[in-house]
This record gives sequence, C-alpha cells and structure tokens, in this order.
Amino acid sequence: MASLDEIKKVIVDFATNTKKSKFYFKDMEKAVQKVIPDAKSREIKKAATALINEGTLVYFSTGSSTMYGLKGRGISLETEETGKAD
Amino acid sequence: MSAEGEEKLWETKKYDEVRIYKDEEIWNYTDEELANYKCKHDTPLLDQLEEGPWPSFVSDIKQEALHRHKLPEDKLLIPADVCDDLLGQVELSYVEKETHWKHGGIVGVFGYGGGVIGRYSDQQEKFPGVAHFHTLRVNQPASKFYKTDYLRALCDIWEYRGSGLTNMHGSTGDTVLLGTFTEQLEPVFFDLTHDLGVDLGGSGSNLRTPSCCVGKARCEFACYDTQDICYELTMHYQDELHRPAFPYKFKFKFDGCPNCCVASIARSDMSYIGTWKDDIRIDQEAVRAYVAGELKPNAGAFGGRDWGKFDIQKEVIDLCPAGCMEWDGKELKVNNKECVRCMHCINVMPRALRIGTDTGCSILFGAKAPILEGAQMSMLTIPFIRVEKPYDAIKDIVDKVWDWWMEEGKNRERVGELIQRKGVQEFVTKVLGIPAIPQMAKEPRSNPYVFWSEDEVPGGWQRDINEFRKRHPR
Repeated sequence: MASLDEIKKVIVDFATNTKKSKFYFKDMEKAVQKVIPDAKSREIKKAATALINEGTLVYFSTGSSTMYGLKGRGISLETEETGKAD
Repeated sequence: MSAEGEEKLWETKKYDEVRIYKDEEIWNYTDEELANYKCKHDTPLLDQLEEGPWPSFVSDIKQEALHRHKLPEDKLLIPADVCDDLLGQVELSYVEKETHWKHGGIVGVFGYGGGVIGRYSDQQEKFPGVAHFHTLRVNQPASKFYKTDYLRALCDIWEYRGSGLTNMHGSTGDTVLLGTFTEQLEPVFFDLTHDLGVDLGGSGSNLRTPSCCVGKARCEFACYDTQDICYELTMHYQDELHRPAFPYKFKFKFDGCPNCCVASIARSDMSYIGTWKDDIRIDQEAVRAYVAGELKPNAGAFGGRDWGKFDIQKEVIDLCPAGCMEWDGKELKVNNKECVRCMHCINVMPRALRIGTDTGCSILFGAKAPILEGAQMSMLTIPFIRVEKPYDAIKDIVDKVWDWWMEEGKNRERVGELIQRKGVQEFVTKVLGIPAIPQMAKEPRSNPYVFWSEDEVPGGWQRDINEFRKRHPR
C-alpha cells in the first residue's frame, strides 16, 4: 500500500506538469494510479485534501462541478478578482 | 445543532447575544420613503416587472437598497449601494441580452470545496458594489424549521457582512446568502458556525445538502422519520459534503410518503420515499361519513368552489390508477396487492384511510435535470427497506453506489446517466446485488441479444486460443 506522502508527491508532479491548470479529481486519480496502481480512490482523496489544507492545491468550483489546481498556476485570486491576466 | 439525546456539537446563541442592529436601525424607513426611492441607476426595464400582478424581486431589492442607505456606514462591511449596483447590472443585461457575471472561481472557506460559489462582475468600474458577488449556501435545518432568534441573527450577520439579500430557499434546500466580497467569506463562516451552530451546505462535485419533507413532525402520512435520517446522513457524510471528489453532484432527498413533498423522485440522485408493506387501514364508519357529506373530502382543501356532493365512485374509485378499489354503497374494499401508492384515496379521505403500519421506504435512483439526455425521474430500485437507526443498511447501499460511480463515472456524469450508459442490469445485479423486478423495466425488451454475465458462462471470458484452434482450424 502506498503511503500518503508518496501519493501526495505524484499528485503534485501531475498538477505541475499537466497541460491544463485545472483538472477533475478523476484525472488526478488516473494519474496517481498510473504510477501507483494499488492506490485507492479514498486514499487519493485524503492526499488531495491534505494538499488543500497545506495550501499546495486549490479547489476551483463553477458551482455545479469542482476541479483542483496547483496554487499559483494559472488562475490566482488576484487575476480572478480583477479579471486581469498575470 | 444536534438531535435530542446526542452530543451537542455547537452552542446556538440567542439573538440578543449576537445582534448587530438596534430595532430603530432595522425599521429605518417609511412607506413614503420607499415609494419615492430613486435607484442610483436608471432601470426602466426592471421597473416594468413591478407592474405585474405578482410580487417582484425588483421591489424587494429596492426595499433593501433603501434600508442599506439609511444604515450607519460603520455597520456595513461591504458597499451600501450593492443593491443599487445589482439592479444597474441586471438592467444592463436586460438591455444587452447577455450576462455580465463571471461565474465560479477559487474562492471558498479554508478546507471546504463547497458551500461558496464565486461570482464577479465584468463591469466592476461601472458597478463597484457588485465587483464581487459570491453566494454562500447554508445548510438548512431539517424540514426548514426555524426559530425567529436564528432568522434574526442570520439576517443581521448577512446585512453586516453581505448584501442583505437571501434566497429562502435554493432548490437544493439551502438558505442561500446572495452577494458578498471575498474578504467577508471567512468571517461569515465563523459567525455562522460559532454563533448560529450551522454549517455551509454542498455545492460543486459534492454530496449536496440533504433535504427532507416535514415528516413525522407534522404529517400523519410520514412512514419514517425523515428529519432524523436527513440529519444522520448529513453528519455521517460530512467529508463527502465538504470535500469534493465525485464525478459530479449527488443529491439525497427524503420524502416521508409517496406524496413526495420535496419532489425527491424528480430532483435527487437517490430518492427515499416512504411506503408500507401491509394494508391501507380503513375506517368504514368514516368512509360512510364522507359519502354522507359529514366529513369534507381533502380535509376541505378544495372547498372554495361548489363541486357538488362528494361522489366516492367518481372522485376516488374510478380515479384509482390500479383499479383496485370497490365501493358497494356500504363498504369500501381495497385489493392492497395491486395498490401502487398513488396516495389519492388517502389524500381525499384522510379520516377514513390511513397508511399501513409496517412502514419503511422505497429507494429510487437517478433523477436529474436535462443537461445530458433530457430530464429523468428516479427509477424504483429497492422496493422496500426498513428505515431504522443507525441506518447501516442504507449507508451500505450508499457506499456501494458511490464506489461504483466514482470508479466508472465520467467527469460531470450523474449517477442516472451512468446507469443509462452501463445498463440497469449491471447496476441492479452487480452493484447492488439484488434481483431485478419487472417494475424496473421501462418498456418491453426490444434488443434480441442475450447478455450473459461472466459467471454464467462456463470458463468465463477467458479462453485458450490454442485449444480453440485445435477444434477450429483456420
């Protein structure tokens, strides 16, 4: 069984290198399971929640669905609030 | 908030302990001032909406705009003219026929992935009061029973830190607080949790705030305690409610009987509808009293017009969708095996007919609004299950369905769409492990193929190609 830290590392690698700055949980889950095939979705969720609480990942919500993103990559609170690009 | 006999998780303070505004600040304008109120922006199109026969949201917003202008500046933490700017922006959208809202974003409260929906104006210079206009969803109490203390305190908090505008309630059931700035989100959340003992509701790819009908609190038709299970599942699935990891939204709604007062059958991915296994209880004396006109049908609900004498044959027997009732002039008979729980006879003659005593609920899956494939109602999947604390049998079903949906569901695919895509057979027999019944089929089978499952085929799906070729050379 993979440790929480291992899963967190794979998530951060994925969030850093994926083409899109925002991604669905499912995309993140697939990326983790590619590297760690026995990682369960609840473990991945726990790791993602830990990364959110540490401030490494952020949620992006449209109101109807939610995505994850690496903090500071792509949209930031400032660009979101002013509508001006970085 | 906590259920009777359970640990009290939060203190709910009295209004006087947390109030922000004095009485004279709350009642701070006259009818004359309201009639003469001139909005900061010209709004001729919106003004027309006030001329119709129905109450208008425009009048409500103007009322709140005037109220805010008359409050002291140090008692408002977001612009006083948020309501004027809201009207201005909506008017502009009516003129241009396009929205000026930017929807969604990364705003929220710490650790939560739901409950806050980011919204910004793309006309921030013209309408600075609504530069940010975030929505908060607040978990409503079961069946929406409020204390006035709570509502007063909630309104004070929202006047102080937000626009003062609310939706009571959103279609999921939450109290919806409309419009505040990013810097107020955490303080509002703090006040809601610490002073009022309520939590944010669900939004995004979360379990949405569960909601229930009035249930046993006031309704004799309730087949189970909708409020208790609603509260229990809300508390049990806190992680799913606040930390989104589903493919899309998921809704529980609890109806105590098939009258379906929270419309769970149309609006929830997993609908719990109260039902009974035994017979409808009949008081023949009372039936005769209805027929004789001594009791009012529908408890007098349609008494505003003269519909003539109550005709049990025409108004009840002939309307039974299962045709399972008979009235011989003295006695009412019901063939209970054929009853489809339409509730019509019970609604018309509540003093004479009552739900059975062996009660529980039916569980249905898959209702949704028409984003993909059109709107659909929930499908009856589990005809009867007991609804008893601590609801472990029900939680087991929930967990199985979520595991399957999280594994197989595509991004933004509701569970109802997944059932359509993968088939009812897989959902019922493999995921839930229950036997299929004819009521689950929408129409007679038209596909001529027989679908075998792997364990029904000798050797399963695996075969040795060399063995096969020995018998079937190329």
